[in-house]
Amino acid sequence: MKAIARIVDGPVTAHAETDAWRASGVHEGEGTFGARARFEGIVRHGEPDGSSGAIRMLEALDYEAYEPMATRALESLVRSMVERHGLHACVLLHSRGRVRVGQVSLVVLACAAHRAPALAAVGECIELLKRDVPIWKHAVWAADSGEQQFR
Amino acid sequence: VGKTAERSVDVLLFGPAARAAGASSVSVLVPEPCAASEVLARLPQQHPAIAFALPGSRLAVNHAFAEPDTVVRQGDELALIAMVSGG
Repeated sequence: MKAIARIVDGPVTAHAETDAWRASGVHEGEGTFGARARFEGIVRHGEPDGSSGAIRMLEALDYEAYEPMATRALESLVRSMVERHGLHACVLLHSRGRVRVGQVSLVVLACAAHRAPALAAVGECIELLKRDVPIWKHAVWAADSGEQQFR
Repeated sequence: VGKTAERSVDVLLFGPAARAAGASSVSVLVPEPCAASEVLARLPQQHPAIAFALPGSRLAVNHAFAEPDTVVRQGDELALIAMVSGG
């Protein structure tokens, strides 16, 4: 299993990441690859308001996923990264449900012989995720901001 | 002159489209037989509140993106995949 994609409830934890990394089997090939690129997406405290564009203070993001399509799309995405970039492994974890400011909602790991394919795969993977995967984020504004709104 | 047969299909909504419609799905009257492109064309006509979400959107049929000419059959699960914002 070189390509692993999982949707986890709440923030992505180190434990979930380690578990997925082990499931990829890539640790068995240590010494054969020279690059591991890692991206972490973190919830910011300020987000543009959908209607006015003004920055509002955020408490959290609620992630909504259309399942099982979302997991299938993520699995297909990481498989395509392994094939296209010749990766040793690609691991992706994405949150579902509430992720508070400062917590991690996305981790992408790409492991390759050299840095170029690893770095390219991580960037491309995130772009395609944002285009093709049926996941939506819902802003939970800080208490003094009142209403909630999709973005 | 014979009338074209029509039927109603349910389309699941998410994110901003669901918010605008105030519902997690909408019904759309479509011809029989019907292609995915026809469902997408009729959605904003019959539900103007979600017209803003249609540009660049795609229809999923049974959890896979449909081609424009994919025929939508009775019992298929349809979903509007619009304005995704993962990451």
